[in-house]
Amino acid sequence: MSDPVISRRALLATLGGALVTQAAGARTRPPSSTPRARVIDCHAHLRHRSHASWRDDDRKLIEAADKLGIDQLCCSLLTPVKPATAEQFRECNQWVAEGMRRFPGRVLGYCFVNPGYGREALDEIRRCIEDRGFIGVKLYNDYRANEPVVWPVVELTIKLRVPILHHAGHPTWLSQPQPHMSDGGHLVELADRYPEAMLICGHLGGGGDWEWTIKALRNGASVYLDTSGTVIDEGMIEMATRMLGADRILFGCDMSMTAGIGKIRAVTLAAAEKDQILGTNMQGLLSRRGTA
Amino acid sequence: MIDVNAYLGHFAFRQLRHNRADQLLRLMDSRNIEQAVVSSAAAITYRNAQAGNEELASDVQRHRDRFIPFGVVNPAYAGWRDDLKICHEEFGAKGLRLYPRWHNYDLSDPDCIELVNAASDRSLVISIPLRVEDRRQQSWLVDIPDVDKEEIAALMKSCPDSRFILVNGSGYVRSPLGQTNNGLPANYVIDISLLTVELENEVGQLIENLGPERVVFGSGMPFHYPDPAIVKMEILDVSEAVKEGIRRRNVARLLRLPAASAKRPYLGLAE
Repeated sequence: MSDPVISRRALLATLGGALVTQAAGARTRPPSSTPRARVIDCHAHLRHRSHASWRDDDRKLIEAADKLGIDQLCCSLLTPVKPATAEQFRECNQWVAEGMRRFPGRVLGYCFVNPGYGREALDEIRRCIEDRGFIGVKLYNDYRANEPVVWPVVELTIKLRVPILHHAGHPTWLSQPQPHMSDGGHLVELADRYPEAMLICGHLGGGGDWEWTIKALRNGASVYLDTSGTVIDEGMIEMATRMLGADRILFGCDMSMTAGIGKIRAVTLAAAEKDQILGTNMQGLLSRRGTA
Repeated sequence: MIDVNAYLGHFAFRQLRHNRADQLLRLMDSRNIEQAVVSSAAAITYRNAQAGNEELASDVQRHRDRFIPFGVVNPAYAGWRDDLKICHEEFGAKGLRLYPRWHNYDLSDPDCIELVNAASDRSLVISIPLRVEDRRQQSWLVDIPDVDKEEIAALMKSCPDSRFILVNGSGYVRSPLGQTNNGLPANYVIDISLLTVELENEVGQLIENLGPERVVFGSGMPFHYPDPAIVKMEILDVSEAVKEGIRRRNVARLLRLPAASAKRPYLGLAE
C-alpha cells in the first residue's frame, strides 16, 4: 500500500470549534483495545463481471483507498438484476473470494444471499464464513429485515458471530423504487427479536431521509449505522453521533469515496470518537469471530 | 479558494447550521475558503423570492470582501424585472441563481430567456443549481426533479453571450454538457461539489473533454459539508497549475473579479 494522499492525521483532525461530546443518555461502550486503529470502509462493492472493465474497476477501488488512507474495504458483490437466484449469489461470492485473494488484507468479504432460498442461502453463508474467511453477510432488498424469512439467516450469523450489513433507507413515498427495502425501523424490530445479532443499517447518506433513519435507530441499541452514500448533508454525522453515540457509527463509502472520507473529516469530534467511527467499532465487530 | 456554491439563510425542509454570515465566515476560515458566491436558501421556497434577496443583502452588507452575492429571481413571478434591477443596482449582486423546477417554469420560457439576456446585459452571471436536495430525501410535500441537462444546453445555445455556473450536478459526461465538440458555446463552468475524482473520475473527464478552465471549486455549504470538495482537490491527479485554476482563477475570470481581489492573500475572518 502506497502512502495515502490523505493522511491519518488529516482524517482525525478536529477542524475548529469545540469538541462535540456525547449527549447525555447516549449509550457508551468502551472502544475495543487494539494496537492501531485501522480505517475500515464497512460498505464497499467489487464490480460485477458482466462489466468488461471489472478488473480495472476493482483495481481503481484499491487505488482510491490508497489515496484516501483507507486500510480495508468490506466488499460484497451484487447481481445487477434482483432478486438474485441461488446460482447467481453463489457466483457473486465466488468472485468476492477471488477479490480477497487478489487484494489480500485489503478486501474483506461479505457473503451476499437472498434469504428466500432458505437452505441454499444458509449453506452458502456457512461455506463463505467457515471455509473462505468471509467476515459477514450482506442482505439487499429481497425481503424486509423484519420478515420471518430472514430469521434463519440472522440466527446463523449469531451462531457464526458475524455481522449483517443490511441495505436500508427511508425514501419519501413519492420516490419509493424498492418496495421491499428495509428502513431503520425494520432493523430495530429485528434487533428487538435478536438483540445479540450484529446488525448494520446501510448508508445513512444514500437512503432517503437520514434524519428519520437516525431517529428510528435511537432506541435500537444493538443496531449500528454506516455513514456511506453520496449524500453529504452538513450535520448528518453530528446528529447521528449525538443521538446514537460514536460507538454505533461505522465509516463507510459505498463507492462514494471522497464523500465518505469528507463527511468524517468534517465533523468536530474527539480523536478517539473519530477513531471509533473510522475503524475501531468495525474491528470490534470483526474481533467477535476473530476475523479482525 | 473561491467557493461558487454557497448559501445563507433558512431552508424550508431542513435545519441548516452555519447559515448566518458570521457562522459561514467561520466555516470558510476553518477551511481556507477566502470568498464564496452566496444566495438566499430561503428564496428557494419563498413564493416571493425577492424577500430572500433582501435578507441576503442585509446579511452580506458588512462582508463584501468575502461574499459574492447572487440574487434568486423567478421570471414566472410578478415584478421580476424590478427584482433584477434592485438585485443589481441596490444589492450589488454579481449574478443570479435560477430554480426552474422549484419555481415552476422552464428554461426555454420566453420570460426566462428575457431574464437571462437582461441579466447578461448587466454583466451578471447565471448560476443554475441542478438540485437542492437528493430527491430520495425530499419532503413528502414536494417532488422536485433535477434540472434537465438538455434543457440547460438549449438555454446556453439560446444565450451564447451569457455566462453560466452549473452547480450541484453530476453525470455531465453522459450529456452534451460534458462532452467534447458538443456544439455548445464555451460559456459555462461546472462545479465539483457532486462530481467524483475517484473511480469514474468525472472531474478528470470534464477537464479532458471541456478543458481545465471549465471546472470550478464549489461545495454546496452549508447544505453540504465543505470537506468532500476539499478532499477532491487534494487527491485530484492534475498539475498544481490546473488545481489553482479550479480553486479560484477560472471563476475569478468568469466573474471578472478585480485583479486585486483575485490575487488577494487569505486574510482570515473579516470582522
